[in-house]
Amino acid sequence: MFSVSHKTAFVVDHCPYMAESSRQLIECDMLTKSRSQGVIPLAPVSKSLWTCAIECSMEYCRILFDVYPTWKLVNYIVSDSEVHILNSWKQEDQNTHELMAALAAVGPPNPRQDPECCSVLHGLVAAVESLCKITEYQHESRTTLMDTADRVANRGRIICLTNAKSDTHVRMLEDCVLETIQEQNKRAAGSDRLMPIQQCELVLVHIYPQGEETLVSDRQKKELSSMLSSEVHSVRAGRYLASKLNVLVQQHFDLASTTITNIPMKPTLNVFEQEEQHANTSANYDVELLHHRDAHMEFIKSGDLHMAGSTSRDSGLKETVTLKWCTPRTNSVELHYCTGAYRISPVDVNSRPSSCLTNFLLNGRSVLLEQPRKSGSKVISHMLSSHGGEIFLHVLNSTRSTLEDPPSISEGCGGRVTDYRITDFGEFMRENRLTPFPDSMIDAAGRTPVERAKSQLERYTRYWPMIISQTTIFNMQAVVPLANLIVKDTLTDEDVLTCQKTVYNLVDMERKSDPLPISTVGSRGKGPKRDEQYRIMWNELETLVKAHVGTSERHQRVLECISACRSKPPEEEERKKRGRKREDKEDKTEKNGKDTEEKGWTTDSERLKGVMEREKDEQSECEIIKDSPDSPEPLNKKPRLATEEQQPPEKSKGPVSLLTLWTNRITQANSRKHQEFAGRLSSVNNKAELYQHLKEENGMDVHENGKATR
Amino acid sequence: MPTVVLLDSSLSMTRPVSVEGSEEFQRKNLAVHGLTMLFEHMATNYRLEFTSLVAFSSLWELLVPFSRDYNTLQEALNNLEDYDKTCLEAALQGVSNVVQQEWGTSCPCQVVLVTDGALGIGRGSLRHSLQTVKQRVDDKKFPLPFPFPSKLYVMCIANAEELQATDSMDNLEQLINLNGGEGQIYTMEGPLCLKSVQSMFGKLIDQAYSPFHAVLRCGNLTSDVQVFPRPEPVTIDEEVDPIPKTVQTDLEIVGFIEIGDISSPPVLSRHLVLPIAVSKEGDEIGTGATDDTEEETSTNQMAGKSPNFCVLLHGSLKVEGMVALVQLGPDWFGMLYSQADSKKKSNLMMSLFDPGSEPLPWLGRMSQLGPASDAAENPYGEDDSKSPFPIQPKHKRSYAQNVTVWIKASGLQTDVQKILRNAKKLPEKTQTFYKELNRLRKAALAFGFWELLKSVAELLERECTLLPDSAHPDAAFQLSHAAQQLKLASSGDSKYAAFEQNITPMLTDFSGGGGADRI
Repeated sequence: MFSVSHKTAFVVDHCPYMAESSRQLIECDMLTKSRSQGVIPLAPVSKSLWTCAIECSMEYCRILFDVYPTWKLVNYIVSDSEVHILNSWKQEDQNTHELMAALAAVGPPNPRQDPECCSVLHGLVAAVESLCKITEYQHESRTTLMDTADRVANRGRIICLTNAKSDTHVRMLEDCVLETIQEQNKRAAGSDRLMPIQQCELVLVHIYPQGEETLVSDRQKKELSSMLSSEVHSVRAGRYLASKLNVLVQQHFDLASTTITNIPMKPTLNVFEQEEQHANTSANYDVELLHHRDAHMEFIKSGDLHMAGSTSRDSGLKETVTLKWCTPRTNSVELHYCTGAYRISPVDVNSRPSSCLTNFLLNGRSVLLEQPRKSGSKVISHMLSSHGGEIFLHVLNSTRSTLEDPPSISEGCGGRVTDYRITDFGEFMRENRLTPFPDSMIDAAGRTPVERAKSQLERYTRYWPMIISQTTIFNMQAVVPLANLIVKDTLTDEDVLTCQKTVYNLVDMERKSDPLPISTVGSRGKGPKRDEQYRIMWNELETLVKAHVGTSERHQRVLECISACRSKPPEEEERKKRGRKREDKEDKTEKNGKDTEEKGWTTDSERLKGVMEREKDEQSECEIIKDSPDSPEPLNKKPRLATEEQQPPEKSKGPVSLLTLWTNRITQANSRKHQEFAGRLSSVNNKAELYQHLKEENGMDVHENGKATR
Repeated sequence: MPTVVLLDSSLSMTRPVSVEGSEEFQRKNLAVHGLTMLFEHMATNYRLEFTSLVAFSSLWELLVPFSRDYNTLQEALNNLEDYDKTCLEAALQGVSNVVQQEWGTSCPCQVVLVTDGALGIGRGSLRHSLQTVKQRVDDKKFPLPFPFPSKLYVMCIANAEELQATDSMDNLEQLINLNGGEGQIYTMEGPLCLKSVQSMFGKLIDQAYSPFHAVLRCGNLTSDVQVFPRPEPVTIDEEVDPIPKTVQTDLEIVGFIEIGDISSPPVLSRHLVLPIAVSKEGDEIGTGATDDTEEETSTNQMAGKSPNFCVLLHGSLKVEGMVALVQLGPDWFGMLYSQADSKKKSNLMMSLFDPGSEPLPWLGRMSQLGPASDAAENPYGEDDSKSPFPIQPKHKRSYAQNVTVWIKASGLQTDVQKILRNAKKLPEKTQTFYKELNRLRKAALAFGFWELLKSVAELLERECTLLPDSAHPDAAFQLSHAAQQLKLASSGDSKYAAFEQNITPMLTDFSGGGGADRI
């Protein structure tokens, strides 16, 4: 993480001799010749050594910032009679625009300045001092690591662009850097904002005008001490310097080159040039890109870098891998199996083919790249795609997958179930899509956005039946407004009103006996009768709302509204029911037989319950409507949870029918498959009453049906 | 993670084991017994693993290519013949080739070497190979480290004392070191017998082939799942953070993102997420007794019919074209999605991102992703026409901002010509003319290339003199104005050479206020 390439200090010599011409002539008066004969063309211009150094170092930075927008930092220093530090290690200073502005302020070297007081040494000393300064990243790591903060290393590289007098001069510069490091390390040991340098790479680039002999010899990397290594490159100004720095940036940052070949420049792709009309639009172009070398890992490891169509470039030294453009056919979004994505930078950023390619990608298209092979099938190995204005080279997996031929999901657990609420869950997913929040966005409870997302999922799933036949309310359009609101963290008064309206609407439906979308899966005949259906529906609605009742007082009000609207208070029902038990008996046993074949236990029980209380419902309906829903009923009238209402088989008093025998048998078998709730074990009519002893004192037979469900 | 079993079938493997029992075993029998146990374990608990069997002596032979058919593997094991001497280097090279041909170099593999620890003598022996390891030329390199990520498990049908008596143990340890420390040596404890070979392979199974069981959670909806292949621990940075990160057994979904927004992200590895029915005993890693298959089938049928969250999730992800972001641990995320194979069988798949707070630049920091409903305005738009992704970086990349590069002469020439071309079309092209002129001016100032400014000024002046009589009178004014401004800038005078300053069109009677936007 904190390798030598974390910090790069550029030191560029700004002494008078750098104002010297590079003697590379550039004709800028070219096309006019043909038009106006007789006009004497202007003399060609030539860049100074300074200009060459600046533009090549800027190119180095351009590639660096394209490929590593973070973590790899540059500190740019210009040295003459004094030191000009053009930026800091801060991330916001890491862009070429800022550097260009600062360089413009410095201007070219002044040839009339006294050469005696000018030296690149000032810059080198400043570079060492700068390498000791802690970066934001180092600071952050040290802070988070606490006790093991010493794991954070401080390494760096100094690239010095200068014009040296001789090898001795070079040696003098190296010695100076080494001495300064030792001095600065002593200073840094006692400071919080400074770190001693553990490793420093000095890259001295000696630039001399074309047509001259060099006074400085090239030298390979050499360890000057345990902390400092140094290498010397002696390069002619102009394009030699440019290709040298291009090679260096690749070495320093583990870059590799890919050439995209066969890029068609059809008019549709030709977004860039509106003015230049090229008649020959059918030509195919090549574009060279730089990126992290890991994008070639598969080639490097398998040793067929050459087979993959790699060729030596004209710049020498480095190789490039050639990949063939595959014209995209569709715009469909597809999830590719991608093992890496690396930012790219075009080598020749302003050339027409480069800008055509990059603009094509920036406009949102992706391009698959094919490995050219002499024989055999075509292998797509990479993909170019842009994300938010950054272009990435994606590495696609092109080998056999170890996950091939897996058992289909339909063969596994839950695979046979056919009525999943796929569409509803899709809707749920849309409601729970993520979005980025600014870094400071922490809510009142101190939760990060991702924690809020999780808690939202928790709320939204408190009651979420997975299959259609397990639910009634989620199959009803009329319930949607309430169901959408009740899961929210906070409700407004208006929301509560909407929920209440939903409830009234349901009451209205019930009065009109509108049919409900109750599943009849697994049950014979027509399924439960209308009023049972409503009971089932109300119970489920209550279950949903009860799951959220603790969220806020307004959620509570919604529940109260339902309790008030749906039926009579439970005590009353109970009383009536007891009186009616015998009459209901036959009906119930019959019902039981049917229900044992049902799947969803919730619905089973609801239905049974429904039968029992059907008549009361009919009686109480008129009363409900008279009730004002705005005045909630007292709390003790709260209805029971849906789960409490499992119907125990009745104790028969007459001869037992075959159906009852069978039913009991099945119920018994089923009950063995799960552990019964303690509450239900000792329940009456599946109502586990609190304060039972009070009732016992009143002479009620609590244990009448106590063991019936076992 | 495919497995290659590399079985020593040299003559030394037929050495009898000295036991005072009734039966006499060869080392080979013990090896076969151990491998049988491994294969049985895989067939029951790890059945998607691809395994191949390679036997070696002085030569090597691929007995069974990568397969999930453990009967075939077992059969090959039972019909193993005996050959001559041990020659490990060639065999390892063979393994390397077999794996690369099948899986390439990026797929991690496990190599299980089963040997008696008699590693050969003379040329071709492991000792000889290791002694010469540094003197190899490029095309005769020692096969380790393997070019693919690998774990090398050495199962010795010998006990540690026996191996330490010779240099075998040292050599084997060196072998593991050569593989970057990735692997382990197992030896038998106590006397060489069926029991100790079982215990040795039992350790291997625990180490390398225990299935990864987890609970997939989306709020209150949950499902027990097996993740295959099991996710291996990952080390991000040896230096700063050397402790490997492991995937937790609670996989918590944090939210959902459209496939187009997540946009083929790079992943560390891919895994099938298979819903499992956890039986009442809570442990179905049993040693695979065959007599309970019937019961198992009925359990499976039951499980198939009860709704499972994985199936629901898979169905909706597939229909909606979305992925679920899932938290794998602190600062570690992955995604769940529906993956269809060539036969249109689809499955719930999980891909792991790089550990860290920001694995995908276009999503930003993972911890900053929150529910869209919390945003003041729906980031997806009321009609789903927008998306908050991808996140735009603060600075544009060079290729997106029309930078000036004059490293090649042609770059400079193109820029000068663009100015001249527009100069000829003044005053229609006034805006473009000044835009290009200012771009050149900025770059020339930054590069300290004042000579160019002078040159271009001269070009513009000459252009002015060459204007045809029909030219608009404004053209001449603008050209000489521009030339003059360039000359002033080339003097380096801070009044005229400020980088952020632009040359603005001259206000003339003809321009009709066209250049009124003077800064």
